[in-house]
Amino acid sequence: MRILVVEDDEVAAEYVRKGLMEAGHVVDLAPDGDLGLEMARAADYDALILDRMLPKRDGLQLLADLREDADTTPVLILSALGEVDHKVEGLRAGGDDYLAKPYSFTELLARVEAIGRRSDPTAAVTKLKVGTLEMDLLARTVRRDGQKILLQPREFRLLECLMRNAGRVVTRTMLLEKVWDYHFDPQTNVIDVHISRLRGKIDKDFDEALLHTVRGAGYRLQV
Amino acid sequence: MIEAVRKLFRNTLFRLSLVGALLTVLSVGAAIYVVYYSMVSTEIRRVDAAIEEEISQFQDIYDSSGQKAVETAIALKRLPKDIDTQSDDYKTVYHGNAVRAVGEVMNLRGATFEGLYLVQTPGYSEGNLRNSTGEQTQEAEIVLPGPEGITYKRVGFSYSETRYSNAEYINRRARGITGQLLLDGEAVAAIIVARDVEAISRAGDQIAKTLLKSLALAAFLGLLSSLFVSRRFARRVDAFNKLATDVRAGNLDRRAPRNYSEDEMDMLAEHLNSMLDHIDRLMQAMRYAGDSVAHDLRTPLTRLRTRLESAAVELGDTPEADILFDAAGDADELLATFDSVLRIARLEAGERRELLKPLDPKDTLEDLAELYEPACEDAGLTFTFDIAAKTQILADRGLLSQAVSNLLENAIKYTPSGGHIHLSSERGKQNRVKISIADDGPGIPSFDRERVKERFVRLDKSRTLPGSGLGLALVDAVADLHQAELHMDDGLGKNSLDEDVNRPGLKISLIFPNVKSALPNKAMTETTT
Repeated sequence: MRILVVEDDEVAAEYVRKGLMEAGHVVDLAPDGDLGLEMARAADYDALILDRMLPKRDGLQLLADLREDADTTPVLILSALGEVDHKVEGLRAGGDDYLAKPYSFTELLARVEAIGRRSDPTAAVTKLKVGTLEMDLLARTVRRDGQKILLQPREFRLLECLMRNAGRVVTRTMLLEKVWDYHFDPQTNVIDVHISRLRGKIDKDFDEALLHTVRGAGYRLQV
Repeated sequence: MIEAVRKLFRNTLFRLSLVGALLTVLSVGAAIYVVYYSMVSTEIRRVDAAIEEEISQFQDIYDSSGQKAVETAIALKRLPKDIDTQSDDYKTVYHGNAVRAVGEVMNLRGATFEGLYLVQTPGYSEGNLRNSTGEQTQEAEIVLPGPEGITYKRVGFSYSETRYSNAEYINRRARGITGQLLLDGEAVAAIIVARDVEAISRAGDQIAKTLLKSLALAAFLGLLSSLFVSRRFARRVDAFNKLATDVRAGNLDRRAPRNYSEDEMDMLAEHLNSMLDHIDRLMQAMRYAGDSVAHDLRTPLTRLRTRLESAAVELGDTPEADILFDAAGDADELLATFDSVLRIARLEAGERRELLKPLDPKDTLEDLAELYEPACEDAGLTFTFDIAAKTQILADRGLLSQAVSNLLENAIKYTPSGGHIHLSSERGKQNRVKISIADDGPGIPSFDRERVKERFVRLDKSRTLPGSGLGLALVDAVADLHQAELHMDDGLGKNSLDEDVNRPGLKISLIFPNVKSALPNKAMTETTT
């Protein structure tokens, strides 16, 4: 993906750039709001990483200006303002996702890949498929090797989220936000327990494991 | 009604002005009593003194008339010249004439001075004397100085008088002295000397009546003015109380109403308002500082974390990478603590009160139950829940979830394997809603229950477990924002004196107020009186 990072902290920006490039993306950097807006208008990016507090032009202002031009580039807002109301504010201004500092790079990567143009997890599909695992979103059924697997509604949503992001890391926080709609981090391993239950249903009786744990990051559904 | 009176008496100004009114009543009473005393008592004492004087005059008349009768009898040779003064003949002549003379003077004076006189020879008891003069109404035990062995008694009584025009009897009051006439130091006749005091008594009654009426009127007016003053004052104080409550609830834009009269209350309002302006500025500065600190401190910390993480990723699957991952985890913990502190500060400032909406906590609680049930099972705990249907509280879903989640996590963390955790909600009195999380873990001793709500407070027993001591502080801040009570009690466990089995457990409840009473009152009453 081609990604524009608008961030005034040079060191942070450089790390993000380095990390994203290692993950195989093309990255441009913009140090302030004005330049950021210019660059976003000039080139066609697959995703924008936007710091909220920027010199010259505030992050939310930049986003509003961009959306005024009917530019639908997916935007991930970064901010030290972690409160839920700030998050709501950011999403209302046209952001596609919001990440509070401090974030781990894996979290950032997972989120930016999830919103990026090439993934489009909200596309109107009716069937999802990862290896031999199939999900029918209309019939609400899951099969592996043609064998029907019974899931609880929440397990279904959990698996759906993982399947839509197949091949990419999905973090615990993302799961908590997308599957449970909680915007805080529990101290205990609540998500891990749910994952291990799901794993017991979709992987346990089969030769190849699809649901992998990624150290220090989250989970990935992959053949 | 009783409650209203009780409330009135709690009003300081009412009590003060009531005391003032009472003092006024007392001084009015004292003044009128002085008038009463100088008019009536002085007059009565004058009457008493006159009667005392008369009594001794009668004794003189008795003595001189008796002496004269004996001398006349000797001159007329009815008695021998050397008659023994102790003989019965001497006494008969002496006493007979003396009593007649006294009686004549009495009759004479009775007509002249409107006095009441009666003299009785021996054989008549005091009782007869009273009967003939009317009903005795009072008898003061004042003994007047008189000849030895003789008792003078002051008496008050009423008697009947016949009016000339119609043959009606009219009761009139009198005052007098009863005593004896003496012959050679021996009591020989009872005598009563009295005066009609109806006019004086009537004046006294009049004054007493006036006194009572004035006192009642003064008391009534005093009460009325107390009420008026205190009501007026209370209204203004109420405005301040309401202001304080609103500000406490986070509405820092409220200001005290002023009437610009520059009296004490108005000045208080002005000072209060400037103080609130100052607090408002400080709050904004704090918020700004908080946000800036959050931004400025988190950025380098994030960088640190990112460096550690990317170094760990570069090292691949080595023991060194594990150390770096752990270091990144430590940085996470540090940042999470920092986050919680900021969040608690924001909650305590109450700035999110406007986000509270009426909601049925059932779905939220069931979601949480569903989220935590597997984690409980994983920790070897039995998890049950019992959630009431159709309850309503004023809450923010996110904050409610976070608070209950913190409590559930504490319960999971502290309850040993094999234990039991129970999540419940119930409707209490006046539509209050009680959300409880109970466990059968070690519990919290009652003397520590207030302390653990504070930031960074951890009990000795739990120091070895991970945590920052902010979980309950956050719950407390959330409870406060929701005007909910955070209540701790013994939980599902059993008490035992045996140290090893003493696991009372802990039951933490959030008691939310009735939705209607919790709704923030937006309109500030305009009271400017």
